[in-house]
Amino acid sequence: MSPATLSPTVEIPLLRQHLRKALFISELRTKRKSSVLEEMVAVLATADATRHPEGVLDAVRRREALGSTGLGKGIAVPHARSTLITERSMVIARSSKGIDFDSPDGLPTHLCFLIVAPPLERDPVYLNLVAEIVRAVRLAKTRQRLLEAPDFGTVRRTLIEAANG
Amino acid sequence: MDESLDVLIQLQDVDCLLREMRDPEMASQEERLGFAVEGISNLERTREKLASRVEGRLLQTYERMSRRFFRVIVPVNGRVCSGCRISLPTNTIGRNSEGATYEFCENCGRILYRR
Repeated sequence: MSPATLSPTVEIPLLRQHLRKALFISELRTKRKSSVLEEMVAVLATADATRHPEGVLDAVRRREALGSTGLGKGIAVPHARSTLITERSMVIARSSKGIDFDSPDGLPTHLCFLIVAPPLERDPVYLNLVAEIVRAVRLAKTRQRLLEAPDFGTVRRTLIEAANG
Repeated sequence: MDESLDVLIQLQDVDCLLREMRDPEMASQEERLGFAVEGISNLERTREKLASRVEGRLLQTYERMSRRFFRVIVPVNGRVCSGCRISLPTNTIGRNSEGATYEFCENCGRILYRR
């Protein structure tokens, strides 16, 4: 996994702002990449982050078709901009069985962070949020704690501590 | 949602992705983060296919306005165009004369969709 680069202009804890219990899937039902993305986008619709999940899913799949967003070490961060999203949102999902996400190390993905944002011109926040996640999960002990966390509150605390550390 | 509007929204999303992938700064940030980026020519073909499905006049309007605005198609937030932030008259949202369910903002001209 490459080291994350944060823009020096970012002053607010982005990751913290985007942690929502309604956007957390403790255990994914599916294990194929395509259906996992569908399951995660469906949660966005349930939480009222979009009323048009099919269009958002199209945008996520199109980005994925340009190259896998699986980063290796059991992490994937699919991300896309969609006209049908009005506010930047993040869905966190876990899979104890693992997902084949075409990661560079060939290992299954156990933690998936889906980030969607509206198409705003020169929005540095979107990729900075991606970078913050990449940085937060760089340590094996953090990834293990996230996988073993009994509830969303523990996942939240773990991510905030890791992002601040 | 009207089918033309649905295709046009997909077209705008593809244009946004193409702009980002062609922007050296954005593309290099993706790569620094560890994401693979390739197959832009496939995305360009997707764009062509989508554009061919949009009615000629509507496509022309979109293409012309996309030279002026980053986002041509925007949601209506309450009764406000989220592109120019101007309140819309009460009869703006509804079917236009051709029966489609999209409309144009009377102030900025952007194409509107209901959230």
